[in-house]
Amino acid sequence: LFQGDLGPFNPGLPVEVPVWLAINLKQRQKCRLIPPEWMDVEKLEEIRDQERKEDTFTPMPSPYYMELTKLLLNYASDNIPKADEIRTLVKDTWDTRIAKLRLSADSFVRRQEAHAKLDNLTLMEINTTGTFLTQALDHMYKLRTNLQPGEGAHSQDF
Amino acid sequence: MSEAYFPVGPGLGLEENFLSLDDILMSQEKLPGRAESTLPRLAFALGQGAGTGDSIPEGSKLEIPLWLAKGLHDSKRRIVSVELPKIYKEAWRTVFSADANVVDLHKMGPYYYGFGSQLLNFDNPENPEIAQTILQTFISRFRRIMDSSQNAYNEDTSALVARLDELERALFRAGQRGLNDFQCWEKGQASQITASSLVQNYGKRKFTDTDG
Repeated sequence: LFQGDLGPFNPGLPVEVPVWLAINLKQRQKCRLIPPEWMDVEKLEEIRDQERKEDTFTPMPSPYYMELTKLLLNYASDNIPKADEIRTLVKDTWDTRIAKLRLSADSFVRRQEAHAKLDNLTLMEINTTGTFLTQALDHMYKLRTNLQPGEGAHSQDF
Repeated sequence: MSEAYFPVGPGLGLEENFLSLDDILMSQEKLPGRAESTLPRLAFALGQGAGTGDSIPEGSKLEIPLWLAKGLHDSKRRIVSVELPKIYKEAWRTVFSADANVVDLHKMGPYYYGFGSQLLNFDNPENPEIAQTILQTFISRFRRIMDSSQNAYNEDTSALVARLDELERALFRAGQRGLNDFQCWEKGQASQITASSLVQNYGKRKFTDTDG
């Protein structure tokens, strides 16, 4: 269980609280949420354009950008200016990143490399393709061990 | 959203997984072969000849399932010798290396990868090329499976999986599961509590009174 102190809560003064508490208070209509400073149209446009330009992954402002966007836009869209544009921008960035991930997975498989390093990926993206990729790599590994019938083979010559 | 149980997957190497249903079905696939010696009174069992007393003469061509071929094949090859089915032969191997994506692997024997891996058990001078072809086919078809499985949400996927063999279909399903889970999360269904699939089956059976 989490433990800690929060506050003091004075009306009209901004306070930092964990997201779950913020959402809860907002649902009870006891507070107004202030969006994080990266959740702003120009900043997100910059990130999206950079993502489209670069071949590698850009560092995202928060490792939980997808989750935060979803929560804040679902529960507190009235506190976030231009919420719809933000939703579209984040979705565009997500799509670009997923496409890059797939491209890199494909070239990894084609060249049969043993090791790959991908910076700046968030957990959400990894989980979306993770199961598929690990299963496919498993199969590939087994097919590759077929090529060397060295120690695996069981031959009995009497 | 998570599975109630995990089925045992295919072995996919030189060894099969004993408990895997996929492997059991795969080893039922037939293999062309030749009887090296006379097989007395087995004509009926192997599908040739009407009476139970007939024997198979030496040198006759047979189609035997893989499990039988593996059992009867020993290093001196006295009982049966096996030939490669045509899709693992030279002609088809060049088709695969030209463009593996157009081949209908389901029609070619729905267990192309598994069966091919098992074929490497029989001594055959072409084994390295067969192993290499199987691997390369998998690699070239990988991209298409990935793209189609991750982009088809809530659609009828029968057209997409029609040309995949069983191994690829399992991969496709894994990709779809990932996609569905993500969409579920996005819609907010991930935080709703739903009955597990095991428990839903319990409800269909009525509890009878145990005490009289």
